[in-house]
Amino acid sequence: MKYLLILFTLGFSLLSSVPVHSQNIRILDKETLEPIINAHIVLADGEIVTVSGKDGEINLSLITTSTFSVRALGFRTTEFVVKDIKEIIYLPPLVLEMTTELIVEAANDRETNIHSYHQHNSAQSLDELLSNVDGMDVIQRGAYAWEPMVRGQADQRMNLTIDGVPVFKACVDKMDPITSYVEINNLSKLEVDKSGTRVAAKGNGNASVNLITQKAQWERLKLDFETSLHTPSSQQIYRMNVSGGDTLNKNAFRVSGAYRKADDMIAGNSIQIENTQFEKVNLNLHYRHKFSSKYEFEANYITDKAYDIGYPGLLMDANKALADIGRIQLNIADFDSQVFKINSVVAYANMIRHSMDDYERDVANRDVMRGMYMPMYGETKTFGGKLNGSLTFHSTQTDWYFDAFSSEAFGDMKMQSLDPTIEEMLIYNMDDIITRQVSLGFEQAFQLSNDLNLRLEESVQFKHLETRSESFASMFEGIYNRNYEPSQHLLFSASGTLFWMATDALSLTNSLVYSERSGNHMETHGHYIYNYTDGYFYDGNPWLKKERSINYEVHAMWKLHNQSFSLTGFTKYYTNYIDGIISEEISNVDFKFKKYANVGNALLMGSELRILNRLGKHFLIENRLSYLFAQNLSLNESLPMIPPLNGVSTIGFNQKNTSVSFDITWASQQNGIAQSTSIEDKTDGFAVFGLNVEQQWFNNRFSTSLKLNNLTDKYYNRHTSIGNNPEQGFNVVLTLNYRLGN
Amino acid sequence: MDNLFSIARNVAIVTLIVFIGISCDSGNSSDPELDVMPVNSVTVDGITISLFSDKELETGTNNLYWKVEEGNSNVDVKSFSIMPMMDMGQMQHSTPHTNPVAFEENDAYFYNMAVFIMPSGEMGSWDISFEIETQSGEMITGSMSVEIASSWKLTSVRKDDKVYFISWMMPQKPVSGNNDLKFMLHTRETMMSFPAVSDANLIIYPYMDMGGGAGHSTDFTAPEAMGDGIYVGDINYSMSGTWTTSVKIVTAQNDTLPEVVFEYSVQAK
Repeated sequence: MKYLLILFTLGFSLLSSVPVHSQNIRILDKETLEPIINAHIVLADGEIVTVSGKDGEINLSLITTSTFSVRALGFRTTEFVVKDIKEIIYLPPLVLEMTTELIVEAANDRETNIHSYHQHNSAQSLDELLSNVDGMDVIQRGAYAWEPMVRGQADQRMNLTIDGVPVFKACVDKMDPITSYVEINNLSKLEVDKSGTRVAAKGNGNASVNLITQKAQWERLKLDFETSLHTPSSQQIYRMNVSGGDTLNKNAFRVSGAYRKADDMIAGNSIQIENTQFEKVNLNLHYRHKFSSKYEFEANYITDKAYDIGYPGLLMDANKALADIGRIQLNIADFDSQVFKINSVVAYANMIRHSMDDYERDVANRDVMRGMYMPMYGETKTFGGKLNGSLTFHSTQTDWYFDAFSSEAFGDMKMQSLDPTIEEMLIYNMDDIITRQVSLGFEQAFQLSNDLNLRLEESVQFKHLETRSESFASMFEGIYNRNYEPSQHLLFSASGTLFWMATDALSLTNSLVYSERSGNHMETHGHYIYNYTDGYFYDGNPWLKKERSINYEVHAMWKLHNQSFSLTGFTKYYTNYIDGIISEEISNVDFKFKKYANVGNALLMGSELRILNRLGKHFLIENRLSYLFAQNLSLNESLPMIPPLNGVSTIGFNQKNTSVSFDITWASQQNGIAQSTSIEDKTDGFAVFGLNVEQQWFNNRFSTSLKLNNLTDKYYNRHTSIGNNPEQGFNVVLTLNYRLGN
Repeated sequence: MDNLFSIARNVAIVTLIVFIGISCDSGNSSDPELDVMPVNSVTVDGITISLFSDKELETGTNNLYWKVEEGNSNVDVKSFSIMPMMDMGQMQHSTPHTNPVAFEENDAYFYNMAVFIMPSGEMGSWDISFEIETQSGEMITGSMSVEIASSWKLTSVRKDDKVYFISWMMPQKPVSGNNDLKFMLHTRETMMSFPAVSDANLIIYPYMDMGGGAGHSTDFTAPEAMGDGIYVGDINYSMSGTWTTSVKIVTAQNDTLPEVVFEYSVQAK
C-alpha cells in the first residue's frame, strides 16, 4: 500500500510542479484518432525541424515558415498553413499497418473502418469474441471463463492484462482467466500482440492480450440498457451503461453493470450438458477529472462476482469467483522538459479469490478421487505502479516504460472422505508465495527512408519469487534435495520491427523478437497443481533456468479502400523449454506426478490469412484462416492443446438500419496430439453455420438483434476443450438494446 | 510548521520509549529454562531427585531430564546411573536406555534417552531405579514409578529367535513439508540387555492411502546408519492427513525381516 501512496504522491507532485506549455499541437490519425508518432515536420525549404513524440505532439513555435508539411510513415504527406492550425491536425492513413498488433474494436463503428475486427453481435460474450480472432483460440473447461490462447501459447507464455495492468488468477486449476472480469459492454479495444514485439511496454517478448476498457467521456448524460435471452440454455443477460460529464469538461464518469445467469447448456442433438450453469454480476466504475488542459486524473474500479459456475470437464465446480480490480492514473499531456517527459503514472491494486468444491457432484460413484470431496480455495493480491514517458537526445526520441509490482498467492485443497473414520487431508498448493517484478523498457523508432521504418525495443526485468512459509519451502528441499533459495532472474528481451511500404497499397513487416522468461509462481512454487490436459499433479521448481525464445514473423498487407489481404507467417523457437517431467519414484496408476524442469527445445510455426472484400456499398465478405504447427523437439511430438487448421467466413449485408450476416466457422480434424505428455485425443473436424440479423429503430435509440447459431444443431467439440466438452447446439440469441441520450 | 515539529518530536519520543522497552525486554539468560513437564520426583535422605520430560512418556524414544537438589540448591553429582524396569509379575525386563549425563544446554539438569518398549497397563508397570554418587562421596539410591503411554512410534519385528525394536525418533510431530527422519534400532540379547544395531539397512516407503484402494507416496531420503543404532534420512510430506511408513530391516547378514508399518497423522503446519 505504501508504494501506491508513493506513486500517488509522485503523480500529484508532478501535477503541481510542472508548468503548462501552450505552443504544442497534436498530430492524429484521421481514421483512428490515435496520436501519430515520429511525424516529421518539414518547412517549405525542406528543413526538418522536429518530430512528434509518443503523444503526437510538436512545438509550433519551431516552425518559422508560413507553411509546412507533415510526413509520417503510413500517412499521406500533407501541407498545412501555420495561421490555420488549431490544436489538432489530422493525417489521412495509407495502407501500412505500423505494428503487428491487432485491434479488435468492440464499438459499433464498422462503417468507418472495415479493416478492424468487430464484435459482430452485441450479445456476444468476450469469450466468444476471443475465440473468433485468427491466431487466437480459447481453452474451454465449461460454458464460462474460457482461457485465451495466442498461437497455442497460454497462461505463463502470454501476458494477459486489463488496461495494461497485470492481474493474476487465483485458481490453481486455471479456471479464472482475467478475461472473465471484463464484460463486453465494458470493452473498448482488445490489443493482441501475437508476435510479442512490444517488449518495452510488456517487459518480455511473450504474446500479449490487453483488454482496454471503456473510458468516461465528456459528453451529455447517456443511458444504455440491453437485455439478451439465449435459448434453449436459458441464459439471461442484462447490461447497463450510464455515462456523462459536466459542461465544463472537468469531470466525467461511466458506470456499467452486467448480470448474467445461465442454466445448463444444450449441445448438438439436444444433449444437455450438466454442470455448465453459471451466474455473475459485474460492475465497472470509471471517473476522469481534468485538472487543466494538460493533466488528467482517472480512477477505475472493476468488481466481478460469479457464483455456481459449473465445469463439466473438471471434477469440481466453482462456488465463488470474486475479483476486485482498481487503478488510478495520472495522464500528463505535456511536460515542461523537451528532453525528459513523463506521460502517465499509474498505481494499481487487485485481489482475486476463487472457491471450488464438488459438494454437488456424485463423488461416491466417479472414477477419479472416488468417495472424497475436494474443496479448494485460492487467492492472489497484487499491487504496483507503472510510469511511461520519453527521452529525447539529438532529435532521437526514446520512449521508456517502468513497471514494478508485488503479488501474493495462496491456494489450498482439502480432501474430505465420505468415510468419517478417514482423517481430513490438506494440501497447500501455494503457500504465501511472493512475486516481485521490476521492468524497464525502451523503444526507439527510426525512419530510415521515406518508405522504411525501423522500431527497436529492449527491456530488462528483474523477477523474484519466494515462499515465506518455512514448511512450504522445505517441501522443495525434500523434492530436490537441496537447500531452498528463492527464484531470482535478470531477464533481457529485445525486438526489432522493420516496416517497408512497397507501394501505397502494399506493406511488408518483418519482426524479430528475443525473449527470456523465468517460471511463474506456479512453475516455481506450485505444489500438486493438477493439470487437466495430462492428468498429472505438478510440483514447482524454484531452480528453473530461464526459458529463451526467438520469434520471427513476416507480415504482408495489401489494402485498398474496400479490399484487404493480409498474410502472416511466423516461427518461434524455444530453448530451455519449461515443462513437466515425470516423477517416476512417486507416481503410480492412480496418481501421477511431474516436476517442472527445463526439458529441451520446442518449435512453433504457423500462418494466418485474412481477406476482406467489400462488394458494392452493402456487402462485405470476410475470410480468415489460421494454421499452427507446434512440436516438442525433445520428445519429437506435438505440444498439447494445439488448435488445428481453422477459419471463419462471413458474408454481411449492411444497409442503413439493417445488417444481416451469415457465417461459417470450421476446423479441420486434429491428429497431431501430445501422446506422451498429455491425455488429449484426436478431434474430428467440424463446420457450423450462423445467421445474425440486426435492426436499428427510432433514430438508432432502439436496436434488436437475432442470432441463430449452429443452424444444423451439430454436436461437436473443439480440440482445445478440456474433456472434449461440446459446444452449444442450435441456439437462438435475442437482444434488445435501448439508448437514452446522445 | 510548528505543529509538524511538535508531531515529529512526539513521534521521536514514543519511538525511543518503545525502543528502550523492547531492549529491556530482550533478556539473555545463560541457562534458558527448558520447556519440560514434571514426571515424578522422590526424596532420599533430604535429596530430591526429579524427573522431567519434554512430552508425556510413551513407548518409543523419550528424552528424560533429571534434577538432583538439596533444598533449592543443585547437588554436585559425580556419577548417575539408572535402570528402567518393567515388572510383569512373572517376569521383569529392562529397556534400551542411556545413563544421565550433565545437560549441556542447562547445567541444572542431567539428560538421558530411554526407549520404552511397552506401555504401562494391565501387563505391568514401569519403575526407574537410580544410583547417584555425589562429589562428597554420598550414594543415593532409589526408584520412582513412571506411566508410559502407548504410541505409534515403536514397533518390533521378530525373525527366528531374534527380536528388533524399531523406534521412530523424528519427526515427533510430523508436519507438511520436509521432515528430518530418524529411527533407532535395538535388539534384545537378554531381558536386561538391549544393544543398539548400527549395521543394518533400513528400507522405507511412505504412503498415503486416499481411500478406495488408491494412494501415493512422496519424496524421501532413505535413512543411513549414523552409529549408536541411529538411522537418519528425511521425508517430505506432500499433504496433511494419515500416512503410513513401512520399514524393512536388512541385517548385516543380509537377512530381510518382515515389513513393519508406522501409521500416524501429519499436521498441515
